[in-house]
Amino acid sequence: MKELFPVPHVIGFVSSLLLSLIALVVIKFDLSFGMGMTILGVTAIIQACLQLFLFMHVGENENKTALLTNIGYALFVGLVTIFGTLFAMMWGYQMI
Amino acid sequence: MKIDHSLPLEYSTEENKLKILGFWVFLGAEIVLFSTLFAVYFTLQNNIGNGPGGSHIFELTPVMIETIVLLSSSFTIGLGIHAMRLGNKKAMMTFFGITLFLGLGFLGVEIMEFFTYVHEGATMQTSAFLSALFTLLGTHGAHVTFGLLWGGAILLQVKKRGLTPETANKSFIFSLYWHFLDVVWIFIFSFVYMKGMM
Repeated sequence: MKELFPVPHVIGFVSSLLLSLIALVVIKFDLSFGMGMTILGVTAIIQACLQLFLFMHVGENENKTALLTNIGYALFVGLVTIFGTLFAMMWGYQMI
Repeated sequence: MKIDHSLPLEYSTEENKLKILGFWVFLGAEIVLFSTLFAVYFTLQNNIGNGPGGSHIFELTPVMIETIVLLSSSFTIGLGIHAMRLGNKKAMMTFFGITLFLGLGFLGVEIMEFFTYVHEGATMQTSAFLSALFTLLGTHGAHVTFGLLWGGAILLQVKKRGLTPETANKSFIFSLYWHFLDVVWIFIFSFVYMKGMM
Protein backbone atom coordinates (compact mmCIF):
# COMPACT_ATOMS: atom_id res chain seq x y z
CA MET A 1 0.00 0.00 0.00
CA LYS A 2 2.81 2.37 0.91
CA GLU A 3 4.55 1.91 -2.43
CA LEU A 4 1.43 3.29 -4.13
CA PHE A 5 1.96 6.69 -2.49
CA PRO A 6 5.46 7.84 -3.46
CA VAL A 7 6.81 10.59 -1.18
CA PRO A 8 7.58 13.16 -3.96
CA HIS A 9 3.96 12.97 -5.18
CA VAL A 10 2.56 13.43 -1.68
CA ILE A 11 4.91 16.37 -1.03
CA GLY A 12 3.96 17.86 -4.42
CA PHE A 13 0.26 17.56 -3.65
CA VAL A 14 0.56 19.08 -0.17
CA SER A 15 2.71 21.93 -1.55
CA SER A 16 0.20 22.74 -4.27
CA LEU A 17 -2.60 22.89 -1.67
CA LEU A 18 -0.42 25.12 0.53
CA LEU A 19 0.40 27.40 -2.42
CA SER A 20 -3.32 27.80 -3.15
CA LEU A 21 -3.85 28.79 0.49
CA ILE A 22 -0.93 31.25 0.32
CA ALA A 23 -2.60 32.84 -2.73
CA LEU A 24 -5.59 33.57 -0.47
CA VAL A 25 -3.62 36.24 1.41
CA VAL A 26 -4.25 38.62 -1.51
CA ILE A 27 -7.97 38.68 -0.71
CA LYS A 28 -7.69 38.40 3.07
CA PHE A 29 -5.25 41.28 3.54
CA ASP A 30 -5.28 44.75 2.06
CA LEU A 31 -2.23 44.55 -0.21
CA SER A 32 -1.20 46.90 -3.00
CA PHE A 33 -2.02 45.79 -6.57
CA GLY A 34 1.63 45.17 -7.41
CA MET A 35 2.24 43.14 -4.26
CA GLY A 36 -0.89 41.05 -4.81
CA MET A 37 -0.03 40.31 -8.44
CA THR A 38 3.51 39.36 -7.46
CA ILE A 39 2.24 36.84 -4.87
CA LEU A 40 -0.27 35.40 -7.36
CA GLY A 41 2.35 35.21 -10.10
CA VAL A 42 4.92 33.45 -7.92
CA THR A 43 2.48 30.91 -6.41
CA ALA A 44 0.96 30.13 -9.84
CA ILE A 45 4.33 29.63 -11.53
CA ILE A 46 5.63 27.37 -8.74
CA GLN A 47 2.45 25.27 -8.96
CA ALA A 48 2.70 25.04 -12.74
CA CYS A 49 6.34 23.89 -12.44
CA LEU A 50 5.35 21.28 -9.85
CA GLN A 51 2.83 19.83 -12.27
CA LEU A 52 5.18 20.00 -15.22
CA PHE A 53 8.29 18.47 -13.71
CA LEU A 54 6.89 16.24 -10.98
CA PHE A 55 3.62 14.90 -12.37
CA MET A 56 4.14 15.25 -16.10
CA HIS A 57 7.65 13.77 -15.95
CA VAL A 58 9.15 16.28 -18.39
CA GLY A 59 12.68 15.48 -17.24
CA GLU A 60 12.56 11.73 -17.94
CA ASN A 61 11.58 12.02 -21.60
CA GLU A 62 14.47 11.21 -23.91
CA ASN A 63 13.35 14.01 -26.24
CA LYS A 64 13.68 16.39 -23.31
CA THR A 65 15.35 19.18 -25.31
CA ALA A 66 12.75 19.10 -28.10
CA LEU A 67 10.01 19.00 -25.51
CA LEU A 68 11.29 21.94 -23.45
CA THR A 69 11.94 23.95 -26.62
CA ASN A 70 8.35 23.30 -27.68
CA ILE A 71 6.93 24.38 -24.30
CA GLY A 72 9.26 27.37 -24.19
CA TYR A 73 8.13 28.44 -27.67
CA ALA A 74 4.45 27.98 -26.76
CA LEU A 75 4.94 30.07 -23.60
CA PHE A 76 6.72 32.75 -25.64
CA VAL A 77 3.86 32.94 -28.15
CA GLY A 78 1.32 32.88 -25.31
CA LEU A 79 2.99 35.64 -23.29
CA VAL A 80 3.51 37.82 -26.37
CA THR A 81 -0.19 37.33 -27.17
CA ILE A 82 -1.28 38.33 -23.65
CA PHE A 83 1.12 41.23 -23.05
CA GLY A 84 1.01 42.36 -26.69
CA THR A 85 -2.78 42.52 -26.49
CA LEU A 86 -2.65 44.42 -23.20
CA PHE A 87 -0.07 46.79 -24.68
CA ALA A 88 -2.09 47.46 -27.83
CA MET A 89 -5.54 47.55 -26.20
CA MET A 90 -4.96 49.03 -22.74
CA TRP A 91 -1.56 50.43 -21.82
CA GLY A 92 -0.90 52.05 -25.18
CA TYR A 93 -3.86 54.42 -24.74
CA GLN A 94 -3.06 55.27 -21.16
CA MET A 95 0.48 56.28 -22.06
CA ILE A 96 -0.67 58.98 -24.48
CA MET B 1 7.10 -4.19 -33.12
CA LYS B 2 10.24 -3.70 -31.06
CA ILE B 3 9.60 -3.43 -27.36
CA ASP B 4 12.28 -1.96 -25.13
CA HIS B 5 11.79 -3.52 -21.71
CA SER B 6 14.19 -1.16 -19.96
CA LEU B 7 11.67 1.67 -20.33
CA PRO B 8 8.22 2.09 -18.79
CA LEU B 9 5.51 0.51 -20.99
CA GLU B 10 4.21 3.85 -22.26
CA TYR B 11 7.63 4.68 -23.78
CA SER B 12 8.49 1.12 -24.82
CA THR B 13 8.10 1.42 -28.60
CA GLU B 14 9.22 4.03 -31.11
CA GLU B 15 5.57 4.77 -31.95
CA ASN B 16 4.77 5.31 -28.27
CA LYS B 17 7.64 7.75 -27.82
CA LEU B 18 6.53 9.72 -30.87
CA LYS B 19 2.93 9.81 -29.67
CA ILE B 20 4.01 11.28 -26.35
CA LEU B 21 6.18 13.89 -28.09
CA GLY B 22 3.31 14.66 -30.46
CA PHE B 23 0.96 15.18 -27.56
CA TRP B 24 3.35 17.70 -26.05
CA VAL B 25 3.25 19.60 -29.34
CA PHE B 26 -0.56 19.62 -29.03
CA LEU B 27 -0.29 20.90 -25.45
CA GLY B 28 1.91 23.72 -26.79
CA ALA B 29 -0.98 24.72 -29.06
CA GLU B 30 -3.36 24.49 -26.09
CA ILE B 31 -1.13 26.88 -24.11
CA VAL B 32 -1.49 29.39 -26.95
CA LEU B 33 -5.26 28.82 -27.18
CA PHE B 34 -5.76 29.56 -23.49
CA SER B 35 -3.37 32.53 -23.72
CA THR B 36 -5.63 34.17 -26.31
CA LEU B 37 -8.64 33.65 -24.02
CA PHE B 38 -6.73 35.14 -21.07
CA ALA B 39 -5.70 38.08 -23.27
CA VAL B 40 -9.36 38.69 -24.16
CA TYR B 41 -10.40 38.43 -20.51
CA PHE B 42 -7.70 40.82 -19.25
CA THR B 43 -8.63 43.32 -21.96
CA LEU B 44 -12.37 43.24 -21.30
CA GLN B 45 -12.49 42.62 -17.55
CA ASN B 46 -13.37 46.23 -16.67
CA ASN B 47 -16.04 46.60 -19.36
CA ILE B 48 -18.92 45.58 -17.13
CA GLY B 49 -21.60 47.82 -18.68
CA ASN B 50 -24.75 47.69 -16.54
CA GLY B 51 -23.92 44.22 -15.23
CA PRO B 52 -22.10 43.14 -12.07
CA GLY B 53 -18.31 43.13 -11.79
CA GLY B 54 -16.09 40.25 -10.73
CA SER B 55 -15.95 41.30 -7.09
CA HIS B 56 -19.77 41.16 -6.94
CA ILE B 57 -20.34 37.69 -8.39
CA PHE B 58 -17.22 35.70 -7.43
CA GLU B 59 -17.65 33.63 -4.28
CA LEU B 60 -14.77 32.07 -2.44
CA THR B 61 -16.37 28.79 -1.30
CA PRO B 62 -17.22 27.21 -4.69
CA VAL B 63 -13.91 28.40 -6.13
CA MET B 64 -11.95 26.79 -3.30
CA ILE B 65 -13.94 23.56 -3.65
CA GLU B 66 -13.23 23.48 -7.39
CA THR B 67 -9.53 24.18 -6.80
CA ILE B 68 -9.08 21.52 -4.12
CA VAL B 69 -11.06 18.94 -6.11
CA LEU B 70 -9.06 19.55 -9.28
CA LEU B 71 -5.70 19.56 -7.47
CA SER B 72 -6.66 16.28 -5.80
CA SER B 73 -7.66 14.75 -9.13
CA SER B 74 -4.29 15.76 -10.57
CA PHE B 75 -2.63 14.04 -7.60
CA THR B 76 -4.69 10.84 -7.98
CA ILE B 77 -3.98 10.53 -11.70
CA GLY B 78 -0.27 10.97 -10.88
CA LEU B 79 -0.62 8.07 -8.43
CA GLY B 80 -2.46 6.14 -11.16
CA ILE B 81 0.49 6.48 -13.53
CA HIS B 82 2.84 5.50 -10.71
CA ALA B 83 0.74 2.38 -10.02
CA MET B 84 0.69 1.63 -13.76
CA ARG B 85 4.49 1.65 -13.78
CA LEU B 86 4.47 -0.80 -10.91
CA GLY B 87 2.27 -3.01 -13.09
CA ASN B 88 -0.57 -2.78 -10.59
CA LYS B 89 -3.62 -2.70 -12.87
CA LYS B 90 -6.17 -2.71 -10.08
CA ALA B 91 -4.62 0.24 -8.23
CA MET B 92 -4.15 2.09 -11.51
CA MET B 93 -7.82 1.67 -12.41
CA THR B 94 -8.91 2.71 -8.92
CA PHE B 95 -6.84 5.91 -9.08
CA PHE B 96 -8.10 6.71 -12.59
CA GLY B 97 -11.65 6.07 -11.39
CA ILE B 98 -11.21 8.45 -8.44
CA THR B 99 -9.72 11.04 -10.83
CA LEU B 100 -12.73 10.91 -13.14
CA PHE B 101 -15.10 11.03 -10.16
CA LEU B 102 -13.33 14.16 -8.87
CA GLY B 103 -13.47 15.63 -12.39
CA LEU B 104 -17.22 15.06 -12.37
CA GLY B 105 -17.42 16.77 -8.97
CA PHE B 106 -15.50 19.74 -10.34
CA LEU B 107 -17.88 20.05 -13.28
CA GLY B 108 -20.90 19.79 -10.98
CA VAL B 109 -19.68 22.69 -8.81
CA GLU B 110 -18.77 24.74 -11.89
CA ILE B 111 -22.21 24.23 -13.43
CA MET B 112 -23.83 25.24 -10.12
CA GLU B 113 -21.62 28.33 -10.14
CA PHE B 114 -22.76 29.23 -13.67
CA PHE B 115 -26.39 28.76 -12.62
CA THR B 116 -25.85 31.12 -9.69
CA TYR B 117 -24.30 33.75 -11.96
CA VAL B 118 -27.16 33.58 -14.45
CA HIS B 119 -29.66 33.68 -11.59
CA GLU B 120 -27.99 36.88 -10.36
CA GLY B 121 -28.44 38.41 -13.82
CA ALA B 122 -24.86 37.79 -14.96
CA THR B 123 -25.35 36.08 -18.33
CA MET B 124 -22.98 35.78 -21.26
CA GLN B 125 -24.88 38.59 -23.04
CA THR B 126 -24.82 41.02 -20.11
CA SER B 127 -21.40 42.59 -20.61
CA ALA B 128 -18.07 42.19 -22.39
CA PHE B 129 -16.54 41.14 -19.06
CA LEU B 130 -19.04 38.30 -18.65
CA SER B 131 -18.70 37.18 -22.29
CA ALA B 132 -14.95 36.88 -21.82
CA LEU B 133 -15.36 35.20 -18.41
CA PHE B 134 -17.83 32.57 -19.62
CA THR B 135 -15.72 31.89 -22.72
CA LEU B 136 -12.57 31.32 -20.66
CA LEU B 137 -14.24 29.23 -17.94
CA GLY B 138 -16.45 27.43 -20.46
CA THR B 139 -13.51 26.42 -22.66
CA HIS B 140 -11.75 24.98 -19.62
CA GLY B 141 -14.96 23.23 -18.48
CA ALA B 142 -15.47 21.81 -21.98
CA HIS B 143 -11.96 20.38 -21.86
CA VAL B 144 -12.74 18.73 -18.52
CA THR B 145 -15.99 17.33 -19.95
CA PHE B 146 -14.14 15.90 -22.94
CA GLY B 147 -11.51 14.51 -20.55
CA LEU B 148 -14.20 12.62 -18.62
CA LEU B 149 -15.37 10.87 -21.80
CA TRP B 150 -11.83 10.19 -23.01
CA GLY B 151 -10.66 8.96 -19.60
CA GLY B 152 -13.73 6.77 -19.24
CA ALA B 153 -13.05 5.14 -22.61
CA ILE B 154 -9.40 4.50 -21.67
CA LEU B 155 -10.47 2.98 -18.37
CA LEU B 156 -12.74 0.56 -20.26
CA GLN B 157 -9.89 -0.40 -22.60
CA VAL B 158 -7.50 -1.03 -19.71
CA LYS B 159 -10.17 -3.17 -18.04
CA LYS B 160 -10.66 -5.20 -21.23
CA ARG B 161 -7.11 -5.45 -22.58
CA GLY B 162 -4.96 -5.01 -19.47
CA LEU B 163 -1.78 -2.95 -19.33
CA THR B 164 -0.21 -3.23 -22.79
CA PRO B 165 2.20 -0.79 -24.50
CA GLU B 166 -0.86 0.70 -26.26
CA THR B 167 -3.16 1.13 -23.27
CA ALA B 168 -0.27 2.33 -21.06
CA ASN B 169 0.64 4.89 -23.71
CA LYS B 170 -2.95 6.13 -23.95
CA SER B 171 -3.25 6.35 -20.17
CA PHE B 172 0.00 8.28 -19.86
CA ILE B 173 -1.06 10.74 -22.58
CA PHE B 174 -4.41 11.19 -20.86
CA SER B 175 -2.58 11.96 -17.61
CA LEU B 176 -0.60 14.69 -19.41
CA TYR B 177 -3.87 16.20 -20.63
CA TRP B 178 -5.37 16.10 -17.15
CA HIS B 179 -2.34 17.71 -15.48
CA PHE B 180 -2.41 20.39 -18.18
CA LEU B 181 -6.04 21.22 -17.33
CA ASP B 182 -4.98 21.57 -13.72
CA VAL B 183 -2.25 24.03 -14.74
CA VAL B 184 -4.80 26.09 -16.69
CA TRP B 185 -7.10 26.06 -13.67
CA ILE B 186 -4.28 27.34 -11.41
CA PHE B 187 -3.97 30.37 -13.68
CA ILE B 188 -7.75 30.86 -13.78
CA PHE B 189 -7.86 30.57 -9.97
CA SER B 190 -5.04 33.11 -9.54
CA PHE B 191 -5.66 35.66 -12.27
CA VAL B 192 -9.43 35.51 -12.64
CA TYR B 193 -10.83 34.69 -9.20
CA MET B 194 -8.16 35.83 -6.71
CA LYS B 195 -7.34 38.93 -8.76
CA GLY B 196 -11.06 39.64 -9.19
CA MET B 197 -11.70 39.43 -5.45
CA MET B 198 -8.58 41.38 -4.52
